[in-house]
Amino acid sequence: MIPLRLFALGAALTVGSLTAAPEGVVEGRVTLPKAESAPVVQQRYEIVSKEGTIATNPPLAVVYIEGPFPRAETAKVVQLAQKDLAFIPSLLPVQMGTRVEFPNYDDTFHNVFSFSPAKRFDLGRYRPTDLPVPSQVFDLPGLVTIRCEIHQHMRALILVLDTPHFVLTDAEGNFRLTQVPAGTREVKAWINNKVTRVRTVELVPGSTVRVDFP
Amino acid sequence: MTVNRPVSFRSFRWRLMAAMMLVVGLLTFAGLYFAQGKALASAEAEHHREFRAALAALNAAQATRADHLAERCRTLVGNPRIHAALEDDALDLLYISARDELSDLMRPVPAGASPQSPVHARFYRFLDINGAVIPPPKNHDAGALGPGEEAQLSLPRLPLSTQLGWVNRKEGPHGDEALVEVIATPIVSTDTRRAIAALVVGLTPTPVSGLTATGDIRAGLWSGGRLQLAGLEPAARTVLGSALRALSVREDRQEAPATISLGGRPHLLFCQPLNAGSLYPVAHEFFLYPLDNAVAQQNRLRWQILGAGALFLLGGLGSSHLLAARLSRPVEKMAMDSAVNALQRSRAEAALESTQAELQRSARFSANASHQLKTPVAVLRAGLDELLARQDLPAEVRSELEGLVGETTRFTSMIEDLLLLSRVDAGRVRIEFAHLDLVHLVATCLDDFSVLPDPFDLEIVNHLPDTLSISGEKRYVAHILQNLVENARNYNRPRGRIDLSAHAEGPQVILSVGNTGRLIPREHQPHIFDRFHRGATGADLPGHGLGLNLARELARLHGGDVRLAISEDDWTEFEVVLPRQAGPPRG
Repeated sequence: MIPLRLFALGAALTVGSLTAAPEGVVEGRVTLPKAESAPVVQQRYEIVSKEGTIATNPPLAVVYIEGPFPRAETAKVVQLAQKDLAFIPSLLPVQMGTRVEFPNYDDTFHNVFSFSPAKRFDLGRYRPTDLPVPSQVFDLPGLVTIRCEIHQHMRALILVLDTPHFVLTDAEGNFRLTQVPAGTREVKAWINNKVTRVRTVELVPGSTVRVDFP
Repeated sequence: MTVNRPVSFRSFRWRLMAAMMLVVGLLTFAGLYFAQGKALASAEAEHHREFRAALAALNAAQATRADHLAERCRTLVGNPRIHAALEDDALDLLYISARDELSDLMRPVPAGASPQSPVHARFYRFLDINGAVIPPPKNHDAGALGPGEEAQLSLPRLPLSTQLGWVNRKEGPHGDEALVEVIATPIVSTDTRRAIAALVVGLTPTPVSGLTATGDIRAGLWSGGRLQLAGLEPAARTVLGSALRALSVREDRQEAPATISLGGRPHLLFCQPLNAGSLYPVAHEFFLYPLDNAVAQQNRLRWQILGAGALFLLGGLGSSHLLAARLSRPVEKMAMDSAVNALQRSRAEAALESTQAELQRSARFSANASHQLKTPVAVLRAGLDELLARQDLPAEVRSELEGLVGETTRFTSMIEDLLLLSRVDAGRVRIEFAHLDLVHLVATCLDDFSVLPDPFDLEIVNHLPDTLSISGEKRYVAHILQNLVENARNYNRPRGRIDLSAHAEGPQVILSVGNTGRLIPREHQPHIFDRFHRGATGADLPGHGLGLNLARELARLHGGDVRLAISEDDWTEFEVVLPRQAGPPRG
């Protein structure tokens, strides 16, 4: 699994270096909404749906830059694991066309499914020993809520983006996007399914632009 | 003697009977009034109890169903698929996701079998977060509902608790409209504890919503102007509808029933809201109790009481007659006695009147006679005096003439007494009371007598105290004294004695005049005060039989009396009672 990921990463880098396009860095800070409750000691992000707003708690944001970027020729593969009756990570941004594997690291059944319009699927019940690891390809942009049919509280969000340039902020909202093609770019910060902030930046090759989302 | 019953007595009996009849009548009507009221009130109370029991049963059944559905919704929301369908913009998958959970709700109950679940549904629908109905997928069996029917399930917002409602739905093979009970249960997110949807279940109508209406008692539903009660005439339906509207809008929340007439029969109508405070339109449960039985009972009671009243009245009439007779006997006797008394009185009065007239007449006659007699006696006396004045009369003639002069004197005194007596009898004598010195009066009287010849050689003893005053008229008191002293002298014996004494006794003075001499025979004693009674004293004694009578009459006019105190052996004593005058003499 890991060699495969490395291979994919290497392939992407190779493609990038081959085109030798001028690139820059976008970094900054997203002001995150206040947490619903005090962070627990064991830092675990849960998905909260409140009056139609779905977000992580404590809040996290995804910063991404959309544009006419070429699709990856080889599908990326990432994992959304089920461990200790929780999805890890709870918020997973992926590029469109990415295959997400749902390995079960718990000693119990899980049943991963989604009713979200961007991707509806139901993997059925499976144990850690059931192989191959069930996976799904996310080929439509949008937010997909991943649930376990057996464990009601288990939820995760997969944000399917039509771009390879995205990054998850840290808990303070800091982010850093590297290898962003130079030019006029719209930088978006996804905070929840209802709120996505947008800033337009002029990215000079080799430079670092700071974008803060208030 | 026959005495007519007085009118007052007859009216007394009538009044007594009328009063008794009035009492009996009033009691009858009071009994009638209270018994009728009680008959209705007890019927009403009984029906009220039934209604409340039925309502309580209905409420209990509803509570059971609501609990069951709430539990069902908790189970539903525990299903991540339903959560996913509701939260992940996948409402189209909601019904499919809930199919397994809700499949038993719609399962038809075999005939004769009791449903396993307390809730048996005709249809179910989900409401979205805004309270609007989420339509089920085309091929999904959530119970058919017309568009209008489905819209009735919507709520202005998601409820926080179970909501009861009644909606119109075409039911049965003929598509008859019926009120179907619906229960909306919120589906509460386990994350946020907020309602994210609601499940509305349309219940299969149990026999009149679980109420057992027996016999003529009819139970129905009334919601939003719709009346659910089969077999009712349109006119009765209108009456019932307006009565229900009136009952439903009252604000006091009392359960007091209304009495209405349906098809000419009185009915008691109870009405209570079934879902007060619900987001659905308020529906009322109502019970109609025919009051035929109560009215029949009332009529029966009325006749019974009237009969009893009539019997009472009859009995009362009889007993009042008896009682009146019994009660009135003394009254009757009194009345008769008074009638007899009145008769006797009137007779006595008449007699008295005639006696009075007689007396007046006789008094007048006596006065006239006395007057007429005095003149010839005076003439006679003058003639005799003239003859005696002659010197040539022989001694025996002179003696005879002197005897005749004495007789004229006696005659004159008798005429004067008669005259006074007639005046007393006629009531013409009025005593002019004055202060009199009795001691002086007695002394004067004795003085007068001392000059008269005293053939018996009498000893006169005056025991009177130094002072003693009386109240009276001098000449009449002197007349009494003179009369008594004269009698004491005349009826004495030789060398006899006359005692005079007086003492005060309370407001009176008692003067005693006693004399020696023959006693008055016992048989004559009661009559000595009668007129012209002279007893056995003999005609040789002076007197004319009027003196004592006149003395007593005069003493009585003074408020006193003259009475015989003692008459025994050699002693006779009279007492004169006269009013005492206190204090010193005036003038």
